[in-house]
Amino acid sequence: MNDSDQLHQLLVDFFDLPADTPSKQITQQAIGSWDSLAMVQLIADLQGTFRAEFDLDEIERLRSYDEISHALSRKGVSLKGQ
Amino acid sequence: MRRFPDVQKNAVVQAFESASLSKIRRALRLLDELDPEQRGPRLDVELLSTYNLEPILPAIQLALDCIPSRANLRLAPLDVIEAQVSQESKEPAHARIILWRIEEALPDLLYPFTNGFPEQLVASVDQFLERVERVVSLHQKNAHGVPLFLSTIALPVNFSNVVFAAQHCAGLFASVGRTNQKIHQLATRDGGVHVLDVAGWAAFEGKSHADATLDLMARQPLSAKGQVALALFIARCLRPLIVPGRKGLAVDLDNTLWGGVVGEDGVAGLKLGHDFPGNVHMRIQRELLELRNRGVLLVVLSKNNEPDVRQVFDSLPEMLLKWEDFAVRKINWNHKHENLREAARELGLGVDSFAFVDDSDYEREQMRQYLPEVLILNEGSDPLQTLRSLWETDAFDSLAVSVEDRLRYRDYTVRAVRDVEAHQDDLEAFLKSLEMEATIEEIGPSNMERVVTMLGKTNQFNLTTRRHGRGQVQAMLELPGSILLTLRLRDKFGEQGIVALSLAVPSNDSNALQIDSFLVSCRALGRGVEDALWSAMVSRALAQGVRKLDAEYRATAKNALAAKFYDKVGLQSVARDSSAVQYRLEPIEAHPSPSWIVVHNRSNER
Repeated sequence: MNDSDQLHQLLVDFFDLPADTPSKQITQQAIGSWDSLAMVQLIADLQGTFRAEFDLDEIERLRSYDEISHALSRKGVSLKGQ
Repeated sequence: MRRFPDVQKNAVVQAFESASLSKIRRALRLLDELDPEQRGPRLDVELLSTYNLEPILPAIQLALDCIPSRANLRLAPLDVIEAQVSQESKEPAHARIILWRIEEALPDLLYPFTNGFPEQLVASVDQFLERVERVVSLHQKNAHGVPLFLSTIALPVNFSNVVFAAQHCAGLFASVGRTNQKIHQLATRDGGVHVLDVAGWAAFEGKSHADATLDLMARQPLSAKGQVALALFIARCLRPLIVPGRKGLAVDLDNTLWGGVVGEDGVAGLKLGHDFPGNVHMRIQRELLELRNRGVLLVVLSKNNEPDVRQVFDSLPEMLLKWEDFAVRKINWNHKHENLREAARELGLGVDSFAFVDDSDYEREQMRQYLPEVLILNEGSDPLQTLRSLWETDAFDSLAVSVEDRLRYRDYTVRAVRDVEAHQDDLEAFLKSLEMEATIEEIGPSNMERVVTMLGKTNQFNLTTRRHGRGQVQAMLELPGSILLTLRLRDKFGEQGIVALSLAVPSNDSNALQIDSFLVSCRALGRGVEDALWSAMVSRALAQGVRKLDAEYRATAKNALAAKFYDKVGLQSVARDSSAVQYRLEPIEAHPSPSWIVVHNRSNER
């Protein structure tokens, strides 16, 4: 995964992480502030930013950069640029 | 937000445009770095809701901060509206907002045939209406004086059977209408209850404001864009509590009130009428006429020969606005900023009370540079954009329009001020000829709205400029021995409404009163009204055995006019620092009321 794509940027900003945090380390387990309130706000942000809607299965698995990135790729969303 | 530095302004714009939480948080952090002075007054807001507002709090915080204010949000737990309003507020907020929606408040309506359509549905709505009434009366009892904003019930975005729902008076659409009607009635009945029209807002925003997934996940029904839009809507509704609406609008004529340039096209060549594009100018005139009728003073600023303009007003039959609808007309070749400054002076207003509309980039830019405090409403030269700017502006927002506001347009008020200046030689005879009658009334529920408006808006003849809200005035009313008076003026031209008020409260010394506030509306200046009110206040103080009056003059950028008032009525200055002069009157002596004003005293229920 690309550590400087739009999703990485969004997650780093959202959870106030150092800009060079490797994508692999962006997981709910590793980030203390990734609680249920943050989850709701994060989904609102993701849906707004990428103009995507997640299905129920996906929502239950959106727990890391990798999972979110996979879900967005399956919807044909490009994470490059901007 | 206009006064924020560029870094903050840009961050706020980005946050609202992107609706991204991280950008909202960044903007909030940057605003935190500003001085309290730049951030505006404190605004404590209590939020009660049947749905989950917690995820939206940062957006609401940012929107309120941009009023500008230092907002302090207090979010009650979900669904505890009655419990919360039943408690007496220890620290009353500046506003309380109640947000409810159909899913929790009237769930039966979503499934009519499972819930006893039609009789039981009617009963469910009745019960909810009783609930609304109960909540309002508990609020009045326990948080009296705190403005209450009740949300209307929005139509649900996600429900089936849209067609049938509209067919029956017990159906969903009619029931929601009935509920909202009740909420509007409560606001009409009680000056302290306001409507946060979430139903109107949701209809305006369309379906994109909603997010069914988030609603099912967390009872938070709004998309990211919807969150920002609701936050901005809440801020716009609360804004009039701390930012008074602009009192005047200065407008250009050519290519604004009509299409074309009178000096070049002649009256016959101007575009104004019911067909496009003349109808755009007609709509602009309609908007201006409505503003004038609700109390905004209109001023013409036009570079033209006055006889040409006069001819348009006299002979163009489609003109909705009449010559006398404008409180001041400056039609000459001087700079518009100079003309506006002069018009403001004639009207007794500060230039910062004005908004400005002009199709010329040059004129707007010059105004911006010379008088940055004037709010420029339109951009560019397109009359359609000018019309849109009048539709969208929050510059004249207010929660109530009083009788006094609606009477303000009368040209005579302006003429009277000018006449006072013109008749200095024989002032007393002139004032007598106005046949003025003043009615002194105690402050109470019937005049509270006007009192709070005056405290919020009066700048020039205002000795202390304390912007008390309803709650603070109510608290003064409850102090034994306080003397809180208004003066209502009538003259030969008609009813002028309440034009002056005085708030005297018991001080620490026994038998002493402190004048907290004393102010006179600018349109009643120069007529001796302040002496009549002072005289009435002093005689009431004497009657209740008060021996000493303490007062102060607190200088602001605008109230120099009132600086010598206490000296004039015989108080001794006892202390002074850079911002205030303290005065005292001991023992108290009666003060003569002007011979040209007939004074009536009327008591009022507290």
